[in-house]
Amino acid sequence: MSLKYGVLGLLKGEPLHGYEVKSRFEAMLGGTWEVNIGQIYTTLQRLERDGLVRPAGPRGDRGKLLYELSPQGQKALDQWLGEPDSGPQQLHEDIYVKLLLATRVANGDLQGMLARQKRTYLQRLRDLNRLEERARRDGRLDLARLVRGALLHAEADLKWMDELSSERFGAEGARTE
Amino acid sequence: MDGRALVGAFRGGGCKNGMSELVRLSDVTKVYQGGITGALNGVSVTVEKGEFTAIMGPSGSGKSTMLNLIAGLDRPTSGAVIVGGTDLAKLGEAGLARFRRDHVGFVFQFFHLLPNLTALENVLIPAQLKGSEVPGRARELLGQLGIEEVADRYPARLSGGQQQRVAIARALINKPTLLLADEPTGALDTHSGEQVMDLLVQLHGRGQTILLVTHDAKLATRHAARVLSVIDGKVVDDARLEGPERAASEVIRVRTEEASR
Repeated sequence: MSLKYGVLGLLKGEPLHGYEVKSRFEAMLGGTWEVNIGQIYTTLQRLERDGLVRPAGPRGDRGKLLYELSPQGQKALDQWLGEPDSGPQQLHEDIYVKLLLATRVANGDLQGMLARQKRTYLQRLRDLNRLEERARRDGRLDLARLVRGALLHAEADLKWMDELSSERFGAEGARTE
Repeated sequence: MDGRALVGAFRGGGCKNGMSELVRLSDVTKVYQGGITGALNGVSVTVEKGEFTAIMGPSGSGKSTMLNLIAGLDRPTSGAVIVGGTDLAKLGEAGLARFRRDHVGFVFQFFHLLPNLTALENVLIPAQLKGSEVPGRARELLGQLGIEEVADRYPARLSGGQQQRVAIARALINKPTLLLADEPTGALDTHSGEQVMDLLVQLHGRGQTILLVTHDAKLATRHAARVLSVIDGKVVDDARLEGPERAASEVIRVRTEEASR
């Protein structure tokens, strides 16, 4: 997720000053995204430099500056929203490399490694289930959707782990050279 | 062991060696002729009274076989299945039938209601096999499960969710020591499935020991505090999932990148 477009998206609704951008973004993502105020100001300054946002009036109380979206900023945001998210798929490559190495190392504890990894995923799934329930209870359907995305990814990771645990993989893995 | 001694073992809270151990599988192997999937290979596991345990694994992994052995619906090729302190191998066919009737409630994916009996009559079958007349309890159970109004309808006139609740009432009519559920939401839509799972959670809250077989990891981790993972006929992991509710930021991190220029 790009901070740049996140800021542009928030400013589309109404002019905001830096601290409001930070707190709204964190609230929108249910605390799953952490950013320091310095990053926000740096981003706003770069966006202003590139003509995508502009001050909405003079400095106010305690030097606070409200920013608004410029027409170019609006265009950039629309273009970004319309683009499909491409690029290579993100994988948990660590576990895969560990697995490849464990199949090669004669005393590699493959099943133990897989079992520990699986347990981690199961616990994650349980935590995500709780989060989803809480988000729904709180009426945060937007956050529930984010959690649901994480849930589906965790489920896929678990299925993968099961395939890796299956004896068939062990045999194939051993032949890989 | 006769029926009375068996009942005694259950009523007495358990068993010879453990405090609250209810089920013990010791090095259980099940071999099927002709290479049918679902075989078990040296499974050892115990289940405590009052636990809600999920047995999870892909299809053909042997998870349903485990449930069937615990239910006394099938016998192991080798190893011991001990339920409530009783070695099921020591029971003859009649003894096993009594064991199932008195101590096991079974909920299946496809309900298995008898089509020519009403919902209420279906619920009463296990009680009648036992010789007890408990229509009041049957109606009460249907009420607790929220379907009292369908008591006199035939299964064909019930929705999938209603049929499964009738099947749960039937499983509970003899107050089983163990409630076994094999993919109980597999034939239901999401909403009915959640209602059925909520019912199981409520039953567990009242002390019911539940073993749930599922291939669905989300379902398993959502409701059961313990998840046994079965792969290729072996229990590869026994996870006890605990912990308080955690903050979103501890569980999910949305990846961000700074504006680079």
